[in-house]
Amino acid sequence: MKSPDIIVKTENLTRQFGRFTAVNQVSIRINRGEIFGFLGANGAGKTTLIRMLCGLLKPSSGEATVAGLDIKRESEKIKQKIGYMSQHFSLYNDLTVKENIEFYAGIYGLNRKQIFQKQNEISKQLQMEPYLDSRTSDLPLGLKQRLALATALLHNPPILFLDEPTSGVDPRARRSFWELIYQKAAQGTTIFVTTHFIDESEYCHRLSIMDNGRMIAIDTPESMKKRYKKKSMQEVFGFLIREKGI
Amino acid sequence: MQRMLTMIRKEFRQIFRDRPMLVIIFIVPVIQLLIMSFAFTSEVKHISCLIVDFDNTPMSRDLIHSLHHTEQFDLTEMTTDIRQIDERMKRWQVQMALIIPPHFSRDLERHLNPQCQLIVDGVDGNTAGVALGYARGILSNFQEKWTAELTASSFHNDVHIIQMTERMLYNPDLRSQQFMVPGIVVILLTILPMMLSAMSLVKEKEVGTLEQLMVTPLKRYQLLSGKLIPFLLLSFFELFIVMSVGITVFKISMNGSYLLLACLALIYLMTTLGLGIFISTITHSQQQSMFVAWFSMIFLILMSGFFIPIENMPLLLQKLTYLNPMRYFMTIVRDIFQKGSSLRFLLKEAIPMTLFGLMIFTLSVFKFQKRVQ
Ligand SMILES: Nc1ncnc2c1ncn2[C@@H]1O[C@H](COP(=O)(O)OP(=O)(O)O)[C@@H](O)[C@H]1O
Ligand SMILES: [Mg+2]
Repeated sequence: MKSPDIIVKTENLTRQFGRFTAVNQVSIRINRGEIFGFLGANGAGKTTLIRMLCGLLKPSSGEATVAGLDIKRESEKIKQKIGYMSQHFSLYNDLTVKENIEFYAGIYGLNRKQIFQKQNEISKQLQMEPYLDSRTSDLPLGLKQRLALATALLHNPPILFLDEPTSGVDPRARRSFWELIYQKAAQGTTIFVTTHFIDESEYCHRLSIMDNGRMIAIDTPESMKKRYKKKSMQEVFGFLIREKGI
Repeated sequence: MQRMLTMIRKEFRQIFRDRPMLVIIFIVPVIQLLIMSFAFTSEVKHISCLIVDFDNTPMSRDLIHSLHHTEQFDLTEMTTDIRQIDERMKRWQVQMALIIPPHFSRDLERHLNPQCQLIVDGVDGNTAGVALGYARGILSNFQEKWTAELTASSFHNDVHIIQMTERMLYNPDLRSQQFMVPGIVVILLTILPMMLSAMSLVKEKEVGTLEQLMVTPLKRYQLLSGKLIPFLLLSFFELFIVMSVGITVFKISMNGSYLLLACLALIYLMTTLGLGIFISTITHSQQQSMFVAWFSMIFLILMSGFFIPIENMPLLLQKLTYLNPMRYFMTIVRDIFQKGSSLRFLLKEAIPMTLFGLMIFTLSVFKFQKRVQ
């Protein structure tokens, strides 16, 4: 049943907290190299879903594989294959930019020389030479996010999970963040990104809309607009939540 | 291995940049050293004493003289005004007063049992008790001396006076530091590892970096040893400082083997570091974890025989202390310091302590999952 092109697959994936169902029977298939978006309001269950796929949270029921590995039994192996940027800023504020890169690179098993190369590469790519030795807490927010992205990619993972990577960032910084995402996708990385910004959903190849733990739509942004005869994703989203939401 | 070293290096960098943590690291031993030097001194010296002498005879002056002749009492003043006592105690000028009644010597000569009155400031109950004990001793010596003289000079009757000689083993001059330093060593090896490991793990949980670490291939043992080894090294470093100060400045004697002490301390650290991990898994903020750590520490200390000797506890509590790993380590450290005990004599404590350590550490490590709740 394993198709080489499907890199993330879930089957009725469900997670309950007590009697509350945060993720309700979600089934998706994500192709290699896709930018797959997850759109939903706060509390829709996006983080819970992403955490299950990263092996941070056990599902209550249902199945899922990431890079062909079972999330229940092989979660430690999955960790070699994925990059993850959580919804909280995940670098150490009290370490310098260099030290953060050194730390995460060391954790991913890179050697001294590789670490040094990565530090140079990232500082060039993000134009952050002047910041290399400053505390990470002193960086502007947009730059922090791009640095966090770069560290999540230190080990060149085939799949990247981004949980609301651009929340709290101004529109210009959001745009440069998405440029990085496109670059990475062009190199063949599969990207799974959640957002509550409806305009960002247009940037995704394919999109799924979540409400109250359920997936209420899944398609390309273009087909969604066509199918529901709406001009923008904004209208599609509003319509779907009214019609299908609980 | 390289991953663990990466983790350790990062941890050390962070420790020296984290103010609350630095405060604990530096303040705890300083406070302990201060405690060592004053507060807990259970030896009582130079109690200021007011004398109200209504008798004013050679015999009463001899009594005063025998008080004056000791290290324990400082005679501040003589008076015949009883109201002075209250007044001066309220002003913290005297801690004890001795009232010698009129006709004291005449009554003593006639075997009429004259009553001297001792008034002690009870605010500091410990000092008061000790002062009273000293004064009683002096008074009874005095009485012995005079009764003997008086009896000898008049007629002979069968007064048997029991003579007691005291000999204290192991801590001959009852120097409190000799007793305190081992206790302080134990407390140091409890507070530092428990608090710091709990705080630093919870901090990462609070900030969200722990979640990030959990999606890396870093193994649980690498993550935890990277976290704990720095605190283990710091604890040993501070142990070294506190002991050096104790030995060089306070002149306590260490009669046992340093190696044995270090090995047993390492075993004890399994318990305290384990408790630190455990606390981090049940709390969600640094404040919460500090609170839980303090609370458990107070409980551990109270039940360890540090303040209250275990033999003085109600039987039920005495039995409960067997569940307290600190109790065993307290005995071990005291015995090593004072009696120079070798491992053979400490097995009775070392074995249960090791079992507790293994159990607490293993359970905590299992409770610490590479998952979010
Ligand atoms: N550990 C948890 N315990 C209980 N409820 C939780 C937990 N994590 C998330 N939830 C609940 O699940 C729902 C979905 O949360 P989440 O996945 O974080 O949503 P989103 O990321 O889409 O904002 C929320 O209502 C949240 O309160
Ligand atoms: Mg979320």
